[in-house]
Amino acid sequence: MSDAVHYPFPPGRAYPLNRCLYALKGDDEFRARYLADPEAAMKALGLSDEDRAAMRSGDRSALVALGGHPLLVFLAELRLRADRGQTAYEFF
Amino acid sequence: MSLIGAFAVAHTPQLLARPDTEDRDLVLRVHAAFARVKQRLEALRPDAIVMVGGDHIEGFFLNAVPALAVYVGQQCSGVFGHYRYTFPIHEPLARHVVEQGIERGFDLLYTQEAKLDYAFFLPLHFTMPEPTVPLVPVHVNVYLPPQPTPARCYAWGRALGDILRDRPERLVLMASGGMSHFPGTDRYADPDTDWDRRTLEVLKQGRGEELSRLTASELDRTGNVELRTWITVLGAVAGVKAEVYCYEPSWHHGNCVLEWPL
Repeated sequence: MSDAVHYPFPPGRAYPLNRCLYALKGDDEFRARYLADPEAAMKALGLSDEDRAAMRSGDRSALVALGGHPLLVFLAELRLRADRGQTAYEFF
Repeated sequence: MSLIGAFAVAHTPQLLARPDTEDRDLVLRVHAAFARVKQRLEALRPDAIVMVGGDHIEGFFLNAVPALAVYVGQQCSGVFGHYRYTFPIHEPLARHVVEQGIERGFDLLYTQEAKLDYAFFLPLHFTMPEPTVPLVPVHVNVYLPPQPTPARCYAWGRALGDILRDRPERLVLMASGGMSHFPGTDRYADPDTDWDRRTLEVLKQGRGEELSRLTASELDRTGNVELRTWITVLGAVAGVKAEVYCYEPSWHHGNCVLEWPL
């Protein structure tokens, strides 16, 4: 068993969440749908109530606790902030 | 003997994006080290650059997690911020690496489609000679555990070195990644620069083989999961003393550029 502290094994129950984070990072079409209607976009990928609440809060620790891969949480958040005009994508 | 050069290069995004969170002089010093690599490449005139990179869950996701992979199409492309990039692949060499790797017992995945991560693009943005040299991108899984062990990376690198030395082309190996950093975690602002410095001393003394005995836990604990790319190249250049072009730790990242002169 891996005893990785920073980048642990992504549990299967977190697959929809990680799928969503991955799509937010690199799939422009999905990201546009997410920005227009986050709940619908997340439900289409099968995120749980808990996953969706954590996504709404943007709480990194909560997302990682649910099994979100830290690197995906980080990169998806940066990408979303860029699209919302809160920062340039490169500002990390 | 046609392996003519070997390098390790940082791919820290801030080196390109240059946000105001960064020390401008530090960034410029790393740029100067990149420029030295570019000069060396222009002097070495390689026919291809075999680049060992650690994907940031970009080319490969949880649908299939290869430990080791080779990009074998005619070209490879990716996107990073507003940068869109495409590199030509040295297709005969890429295919040869896959075939010979498998022949030697390394069950490599190959791809003609996966996106090329910025781990490959960023250092090449600064170091690619003109005219452009074809690439052979070699993927090592660094962020999705369980990753290949340092011992396996080293063994693969040793085989890769043998494969490249048997070729008629003039070839350069480049590792992209490192040193200590913890993206997406609470330790982002606390890289383990002491560990980096101790490791660089080992490499300067030509004792790189010792890195093959590191554990996955130690790499994770010290923010050095990406050092698997270096350890792969070390397998090919065993015993060569590293010449460190720069070690410039920022508030989040141990930026290093070095050469193993062959």
